Amino acid sequence: MSAAPTERAAQWVYTGLWRILAGWFRVPRQPPTLPAAASESVEAFGPAPEFLRYLKFLFWLLMLPMDIPVLAIWVVMLVVVPIVGLVLSPLFIFLAIAPDIVAYVAIHLRYDTTWYVLSPRSLRIRRGIWVIHETTITFENIQNVEVVQGPLQRYFGIASVHVQTAGGGGGGRRGEGPAMGAHHGLIEGVKDAPRIRDLIMSRVGLSLHAGLGDEAHPDHDGHPPAAHPPAWTPEHLAVLRQINTLCAQLAARA
Amino acid sequence: MQPQPTPTRPLATTFDPRTITRPDPALMRYYAVVAVLTVLGFPIALLLGWIRYHTLRYRFDDQGVWMAWGVLFRREINITYRRIQDIHLTRNVIQRWMGLATVSVQTASGSASAEMTIEGIPQADELRDFLYARMRGARGLDDHAAPSAPPLAQPLSQPADDEALALLRQIRDNLHTLAARQERRP
Repeated sequence: MSAAPTERAAQWVYTGLWRILAGWFRVPRQPPTLPAAASESVEAFGPAPEFLRYLKFLFWLLMLPMDIPVLAIWVVMLVVVPIVGLVLSPLFIFLAIAPDIVAYVAIHLRYDTTWYVLSPRSLRIRRGIWVIHETTITFENIQNVEVVQGPLQRYFGIASVHVQTAGGGGGGRRGEGPAMGAHHGLIEGVKDAPRIRDLIMSRVGLSLHAGLGDEAHPDHDGHPPAAHPPAWTPEHLAVLRQINTLCAQLAARA
Repeated sequence: MQPQPTPTRPLATTFDPRTITRPDPALMRYYAVVAVLTVLGFPIALLLGWIRYHTLRYRFDDQGVWMAWGVLFRREINITYRRIQDIHLTRNVIQRWMGLATVSVQTASGSASAEMTIEGIPQADELRDFLYARMRGARGLDDHAAPSAPPLAQPLSQPADDEALALLRQIRDNLHTLAARQERRP
């Protein structure tokens, strides 16, 4: 319980921040929903806790090269011209610490505002704080699924699932966060990426269409189908059985 | 400001997009705020927003969506529900304050930007789910009742007088006569 006071303070600040975000900036606290039939289970989940640690690790990797020179300059100044160093110390400490705090809070917010919702037939991804972006894709429309895992991600045991629909287009649109481009869904930092991939791919594999809005099934517009799918009715089967027995008789006699 | 609980949405609401033809007046206020934020471009942005707001028309029918806007340069977009690839719902802070949202609809064409951007509809969540329910794959399993298991009810109710069955009957009868002839011979 040694870290309790700082932890509690951080917790307090963070919940306060959330209250402001939810109250003033209308950031929803609940995960998004997906319309589904009553029999279907819809699961909403965020990235794995390892994703948070991964982001923090990345952050330290980037921050240390920036913080160390700043602090080194400050120490050198303190040694060479102590008065200037002392006077400028608040500035240096601010320079060293402020970006860290901001980035830390941003990482936590990113982690807490990312939601993935999977139903048996579609997925919905929510991301963002200032601009909240929700993408909905049906599995039927998915063209390919990629699972990406770097060495660092492997260490943390997480991976990202990229989901693409038809239609190209470059990267992200209008700077809306990482990989929120069109025709693209990113399920980032999950532990069970293979399960999600299998779930999606099994659905994609079941589909008889190219995933391009092909008109196919009569149920959708209510018209009866123009041509029946070739199928043996019980009557066909009965006649076939009769033919079979006749053939057997003929064969037995010849 | 009160913290707003996210409204839980039942699937069947009274919301009917077919009645929508014009954007909500809040859209004009949103355009005005955005115009203010552009500072220098304020008059132009306001004028463009005003024109867009006043000429924007929507039509949701059984097949798809139609939208049009513009005075000098008119633009009209048609999309069928079945061709929708993905739906994006975007809300920035200002839109959230005004209860607005942008519903971007994408088809499989090659552009990265959305083919249709529906703005100024207060029931954006309902609209998104309306579109979602009509896009391919949203109804699930009926889309590909596995090829090995065709729907049973239909062939049974169908009078079985198709060509295959007639052919099979002919073959059977021919075989029957053959068998009878063979029986007589020895």
